[in-house]
Amino acid sequence: MDPDRALVEAAAGGDRDAFDELVRRHQAAMITLARVLTGGRGDPEDLAQEVFVRAWRSLRTFRGDSAFRTWLHRVAINVVRTSHAKQGRLRRLFHDEPPPDPPSGEEPLDAALARRQAIDRALAALPDDLRVAVTLRDLQGLDYKEIAAALDVPVGTVESRIFRARQKLKPLLAGLLGEG
Amino acid sequence: MQDEDQRLVARVLASRPPDAVRADFVARVNARIDATEGAGWFALADFRTWTLRLAPIAGALVLVGLLWTPASPTTESPATASPAQPSQAQAFTPASASDWQRDVTANALLEAAFDRMGDSGAR
Repeated sequence: MDPDRALVEAAAGGDRDAFDELVRRHQAAMITLARVLTGGRGDPEDLAQEVFVRAWRSLRTFRGDSAFRTWLHRVAINVVRTSHAKQGRLRRLFHDEPPPDPPSGEEPLDAALARRQAIDRALAALPDDLRVAVTLRDLQGLDYKEIAAALDVPVGTVESRIFRARQKLKPLLAGLLGEG
Repeated sequence: MQDEDQRLVARVLASRPPDAVRADFVARVNARIDATEGAGWFALADFRTWTLRLAPIAGALVLVGLLWTPASPTTESPATASPAQPSQAQAFTPASASDWQRDVTANALLEAAFDRMGDSGAR
């Protein structure tokens, strides 16, 4: 049973308060997803807002075949990919500028921020398809079936991508693995 | 061992501290929705939107107009007309008709040519 179902039905009927509640429930997850998927490029909060704007516009077409959360992730992945493609075209047009350097470890950071940045850096080193799959599983908490639905690929492909992503991440996260 | 590694990595990833969310995030989303919905209705009345959207169609029509010229005998210039064909102003004679018959024999053709030369000499 989709915990968002009642709110989705109300929002699809035009209830903005119900939609606000859906935004509040999923805003943090969407910002995290946008930040990780863009790999430091772009503005994650701006992208997350765009995800909800698109969701509002397409809510009437949501048939409830999957959970709202799964559908929202699919919308988010499309928004990030569209933004990626646009930025790629702009970079080619105005000569490629390198992505912003992640902050070095020398800067004074609080522990939580340092940990988040270390994980984001490791994820940014993965190929796109592996990064998306492992992010949806280990950061966003989607199950394999939900990920398969969000990415429109077979469950076996999802399993393989997540397995390979974790293998590649192990040496990149060596500093954090001991801490658990 | 491999399973253990997988679990370890998954645990580290799951421990990523969540991103901070601005207090006005919901308000910003609402403002964007209002802006796009408002723009949708106003766009219908905005002549700039219409002219921009119609530009490709107008361009295509201009292109078709430039490329397509109706083939009418009144507009055909003498320079473009086939020089091999007898002009319409020229009088029709059995001799000139025989020039365009495929099955005409060489002798008949010569005869017709001489006849025509004789006609023009007589005029």
